Amino acid sequence: MKKKSWIWSLILLFSIVTGCSGGNAPQAGSDAGDEPSDNPPAQDAVTLDFWYGWTGPEAEALEALIAKWNSANPDIQVKGLSQSDYQKQLTAITGGNPPDIASQFGQNVVPWGLRGAMMPLDDYIAKDGVDLKDFVPAALSTSQHEGKTYAIPTAMHVSMLFYNKDILQEAGYDGPPETISDLKEYIKKLSVAQDDGRLQRLGLWPGMDAYTFSYAFNGSFYDEATQQVTPDHPGIQSAIKLSKEIWDQYGSDNLDRFSSGLGQYMSAQNPFFSGKYAMTIDGEWLPTFIKQYSPDLNYGIAPIPYDESNPELKNSGNVTTSVFYIPKGVKNPDASWKFIKWITEPEQMAEFTAALGNLPTRNSAFSNPLYEDVPGFKEFLDYSRSENLKSFPASSYANEYMTEFSAQYDAILRGTVSMEEGLDKVKAKIQPLVK
Amino acid sequence: MRVSTANQRKPVSGWSRKERHYVYLGLAFASPWIIGFLAFTVYPFFGSLYLSLTEYDLFSPPQWVGLQNYEQILADDRFYKSLGNTFFMAFISVPITLAVSLLIAVMLNFKVKGINYYRTIFYLPSVIPIVASALLWTWMLNPDFGLVNLALRTLGLADPAWLLDPRYTKPSLILMSLWGSGAGALIFLAALQGVPRQYYEAAQVDGANWWYRFWKITVPALSPIILFQLIMGLIGAFQIFTESYILAGGKVDGSGSLGGPEQSLLFYAVNLYQEAFVFLKMGYASALAWILFIIVLLITFILLKTSGRWVYYGGE
Repeated sequence: MKKKSWIWSLILLFSIVTGCSGGNAPQAGSDAGDEPSDNPPAQDAVTLDFWYGWTGPEAEALEALIAKWNSANPDIQVKGLSQSDYQKQLTAITGGNPPDIASQFGQNVVPWGLRGAMMPLDDYIAKDGVDLKDFVPAALSTSQHEGKTYAIPTAMHVSMLFYNKDILQEAGYDGPPETISDLKEYIKKLSVAQDDGRLQRLGLWPGMDAYTFSYAFNGSFYDEATQQVTPDHPGIQSAIKLSKEIWDQYGSDNLDRFSSGLGQYMSAQNPFFSGKYAMTIDGEWLPTFIKQYSPDLNYGIAPIPYDESNPELKNSGNVTTSVFYIPKGVKNPDASWKFIKWITEPEQMAEFTAALGNLPTRNSAFSNPLYEDVPGFKEFLDYSRSENLKSFPASSYANEYMTEFSAQYDAILRGTVSMEEGLDKVKAKIQPLVK
Repeated sequence: MRVSTANQRKPVSGWSRKERHYVYLGLAFASPWIIGFLAFTVYPFFGSLYLSLTEYDLFSPPQWVGLQNYEQILADDRFYKSLGNTFFMAFISVPITLAVSLLIAVMLNFKVKGINYYRTIFYLPSVIPIVASALLWTWMLNPDFGLVNLALRTLGLADPAWLLDPRYTKPSLILMSLWGSGAGALIFLAALQGVPRQYYEAAQVDGANWWYRFWKITVPALSPIILFQLIMGLIGAFQIFTESYILAGGKVDGSGSLGGPEQSLLFYAVNLYQEAFVFLKMGYASALAWILFIIVLLITFILLKTSGRWVYYGGE
């Protein structure tokens, strides 16, 4: 008797342990189709798990679309789950129990895709005749590598120059800076410092987006022909020099002090809203924030200033994306694809991105009247058609490259390394990763 | 299965049947821990040793590369930078925190009115989650209207941009860790109350002043606790992560500059996390983890070896 009791307790324990791990347990949802059902439309229904990184009102916008799909497609039911911890996708895919559809940041697509975590979508795209030419090239390129497409970009971001009309007027300007020289002059005139060097207002924060300005100087981060990473490209150097020149006018001490006294980005104390920055370079979501936090702000949106010696590079910008993809190891990729295809069609894309205040990635979505209600979108939609939009070259080592580049950019601005030295370091570290 | 009868007498390894029964029963009760230990400690331990000799990106099977990861680490700037930052925290922050918590413990050992309230107040920060206290400190350390600089300015001292000036980011973290030193103080306090009063009385009779009594009685009596807290503190310091992740603006997409201005807050664990989960270099990260393990092991070993010279155990 007694002996039996401990055996039973052991069995019980084992069943608890194995039951909790659940590694091999079949997904309840995807098996629904095997069971006989009283409900005829759901007879062959599959249920797809859809993990997306958006939360709050943005998630609600996506859920509204999911509901729309579910009512129109009784055979493929999609169950959305807001999962902003992207690391969980990694765990789920390696654990062999991935969601059927998931969202990601564009910069992770090629690193994950090349390593086999994302299904290439080319066969589906060809079969269903999805017109890839409809996509903004810079946005699509974040999902592609060597002719393969690993995800569909659903929203994109690009930065423009925002300026405070009142402050500019005070300083005697009746419009935004158009060229890089204008920009430098504006910054000098718009910045206000005390006698001891302490800053009260900045024309523009000097540690600005190096990617956007590199493209404005025709910079390039990778040379396809020689298969070399080119962080020391002359265009990138010009962009860094521009930032450095502004940085050195004020000095790290003053800038650090000034910036750590600035308010939170998503609040009425955002330095641009509160007039601490006369100008700022920011994305298409900013007008929505302004409407929410600082509705009285008198501001304008202008193209990124261009280099006088390169006028053909007007309207340049750096594109980043959010994408949908099918993880490796899903049970019903055909169903997953049907949903992805539908939700990235121009109409759904417009509905989603307009609700988020993000830019669509398809040209045919741009003219959707839904965007008329989104503040500041006219300028951004026009800008999105610019031919000078670029994105960081998609590669398996893009994250390492950007991390190393931004670390050295920071060090160069602060003067702890020279520009040549810093960029050499980036190259020395990243070039061996090129395969 | 039949329960064996009393006639069969086959003692295994000198145990009687009854003893065996209890051993098995004991093992059965301990089995959740044993299973957990095997599955979540022993297996990952050796698993990571194997992975450290491979190239592994999580999605495809590991590829054997021998010692290549270790060679790469030795040529990696970020490794040295993160190791340097971590050593700074371990060898400067830990002793300071230890000294301060000892000081607090001595103060809390005085018999004054309302001492229990003081004890609670000093311990309180230790129950606040790191994330919450890190956020709290970003306000405290705000250079323009933070409490710390307000105090410094009143005293006419320099008021640095704590969290953005690379020279001050690590001192900021040390300040933060001081705020949590109540937990260590509590352990010291418990030990302090175990120091026999006769020693102090005898010393007092001999005319020893407070300072002398502190150095010659209190510190030696507490030395085993100091050793314990030193080792635990060092191990903790080598794994510091959350504070840096919060203060240096960790971003989910990994594009942000994890590690703060000039990577001054790029700690070993932060670097390891980034290599593993952002760059998908699991093999490399495993090798980093093993190097950390060996470093911690060595330091602990040296401390224990040399501790004979300064640690005094009451029983000996």
